[in-house]
Amino acid sequence: MRNLFSPSRAALLLFFLAAALLPLALDPRGHLIRVAAMVLLFAAMAQSWNIVGGLANQISLGHAAFFGLGAYTSTLLFLKLGVTPWIGMGVGAVVAGGAAALLSIPTFRLKGHYFALATLAFAEVMRVIANSLGDVTGGPVGLSIPFMGSQPALFAFRSVASYYWIILGLLVAVCAVFHLLASGAIGYRLRAVRENEAAAEVAGVDTFRVKLTASVISAALTAVCGTVFAQFTFFFDPDSIFSLSGISVRMAMIAIVGGLGTLGGPLVGALFLIPLEEVANAVLSSQAAGLSQFAFGVILIGAILIQPRGLMAYWLRTPWAKTRRAAATGA
Amino acid sequence: MMSAPLDRRRTAGLMLAVGAATFAFLAAPARAADDVLVGVIQPLSGPNAQFGIGAQRGTELAAEIINAAGGIQALGGAKIKLVAADVPTPNTAAAATQRLISQNGVSAVVGAFVSSTTLAASEVTERAQIPLVTFAFADQITGRGYAYVFQVSPKGTAFGAAQFDYATAIAKAAGEKIDKVAILYEDTAYGTAQAKGLREAAKAAGVEVVLDEAYPLGITDVSPLVNKLRASGAQIAFPVSYLNDSLLIIRALRQQNIDIPVIGGAAGYIIPDFKKGLGAYADGVLSVAAASGDMIPDLARTYKDKYGTFITHEAIIHAAALDAVAKAMEKAKSADPQKVRDALATLDYCGGLAAGVPGGCITFDKTGLNTSSFPIMVQWRGDAPVTVYPPKAATEKPVWRGKTVE
Repeated sequence: MRNLFSPSRAALLLFFLAAALLPLALDPRGHLIRVAAMVLLFAAMAQSWNIVGGLANQISLGHAAFFGLGAYTSTLLFLKLGVTPWIGMGVGAVVAGGAAALLSIPTFRLKGHYFALATLAFAEVMRVIANSLGDVTGGPVGLSIPFMGSQPALFAFRSVASYYWIILGLLVAVCAVFHLLASGAIGYRLRAVRENEAAAEVAGVDTFRVKLTASVISAALTAVCGTVFAQFTFFFDPDSIFSLSGISVRMAMIAIVGGLGTLGGPLVGALFLIPLEEVANAVLSSQAAGLSQFAFGVILIGAILIQPRGLMAYWLRTPWAKTRRAAATGA
Repeated sequence: MMSAPLDRRRTAGLMLAVGAATFAFLAAPARAADDVLVGVIQPLSGPNAQFGIGAQRGTELAAEIINAAGGIQALGGAKIKLVAADVPTPNTAAAATQRLISQNGVSAVVGAFVSSTTLAASEVTERAQIPLVTFAFADQITGRGYAYVFQVSPKGTAFGAAQFDYATAIAKAAGEKIDKVAILYEDTAYGTAQAKGLREAAKAAGVEVVLDEAYPLGITDVSPLVNKLRASGAQIAFPVSYLNDSLLIIRALRQQNIDIPVIGGAAGYIIPDFKKGLGAYADGVLSVAAASGDMIPDLARTYKDKYGTFITHEAIIHAAALDAVAKAMEKAKSADPQKVRDALATLDYCGGLAAGVPGGCITFDKTGLNTSSFPIMVQWRGDAPVTVYPPKAATEKPVWRGKTVE
């Protein structure tokens, strides 16, 4: 704690301060604030992913499974039983945490690509289940959040700004959890697992338990993001909520482009990718078909080629961050 | 090597600049003074792109026709200006629709062909109180009690029922009694809704459904499906699918010399690529449809001259959807979304571009459904499908198992 006002912390503080002041400058029911809210939501999703993907280097391509579980649990509880999504959000987190624990038993023996493939398959299984259990999940038609005006107790607001504040709060919470994990004992254990699992075992780390804890927390936070996403976009169907390219890969991509395993990575990644995609869509989607995704893809490839370690690497190279570089989790 | 970090920093600066420019661009609203803006959301990329592109062409053509005829008279001849957005998936629909509404300030939104994407977009238009006129026909679209959504075509279940009823009627006229049918559908919002209509119609008619199979969108091997179909002894096959699976199914059937009549469920069965992919195998395939070019020959000719292919039903219906918006603006004498919505709700007219909609009129009921329209059945003849049923709309007689039905 001796370095309470390090530049990294100052930068982080500045980011959240700017995020908190932003709504004052924007139309509370407009499009820009929706884009800004999406940036923060995807940052929170990527940060949740970062707990297993970044700290333990378990590259999951199936986090959409937990995201969708969160969305489905809270929405179905509300539609069928009238339970407010605020409670449903917690239930969704528990369900997703449980699913992550179950999934951990067979998959944690897998390494690298095989782990990625197993998680990918899990999300695909969830999608098929949601599609085929039409009576429970609404099937391929998807679920709509009913329109009922502004009812804060039921997680429904007229102005986009209200969602923005909630999402900002969520992002702060997820970042705090990440920071606690990264700087606490479990963070050291996770990094030990990442560097060399066998050596970590020898040194007395209960590697299975450490990974299990991390993935349960990560899944639960992802599920909370899923609930918020459902409330915020009002509609989802199995193909979009369990989407590989739309959710799973995007969560990983934002963390990777921003900087794997760093606290600032997902923030920078989301701040870079989401507006970029939005602009590509706004400018190019009325031109040639598919041009916007093409441009987005090209810029993305360029960003990764220029800086494979993520945009955070630029920050870590500046003189201010250098002093803190030893603690690789800073900023 | 000394300059490397500097270069990197410069790159980082560049990226920041790109980000800043991004927000600056998004913040700048753009609109010309005298035009009325209408948003068009369609899947212009991704698996449903060809439908979205066809639909957008129809809307563009309608805008050209309306503008050439003097624009919106009640607004001093204001021209309709379309603002397009690509919505390849439901996830992108909310943001894109919101952008059209708050950045561009559109008076109404037309489109989204795909049902799930339209459902997602309608959640935004309803909250923003902007009218959305659509061709998508999942039953939920008008089934939620929303006030700002209008659907030009009948519901998905009505299409399913018509697919069954029309086909059995044609078979009956040809002297064949139908006892056993097969339903194959992709497990999307559109596929399941239409399959439900088919199933219920079969039950009501006392016809046995000997095969009722859902399969995933993007199926690559249909031979197990076709084998089941052959073994089932069905007299008619009702496949409901977008393009690629429809090609696979028909090709597999014809290559195995299975000659049971196939009654497609619109979408993939009635677009130019169906013929392109199947060649002679396409001939004689029947399909239910929301509209057909032979019902509005002028528009069909203009479309063909301009784009080189026959006009698809999504193009015709979306042209009618934009026409309805223009008529509503005439009636409201305003481009204010609320007034346009109120005018749409009480709209009642026939002819013009609405002539392409079976029934030829547009009258929305309380739920926003165009009650005067009905599904039609088309059959492939050469390079394009023609309307063969019901008789009040037909331009040619249907052919059943190789012989013309009187």
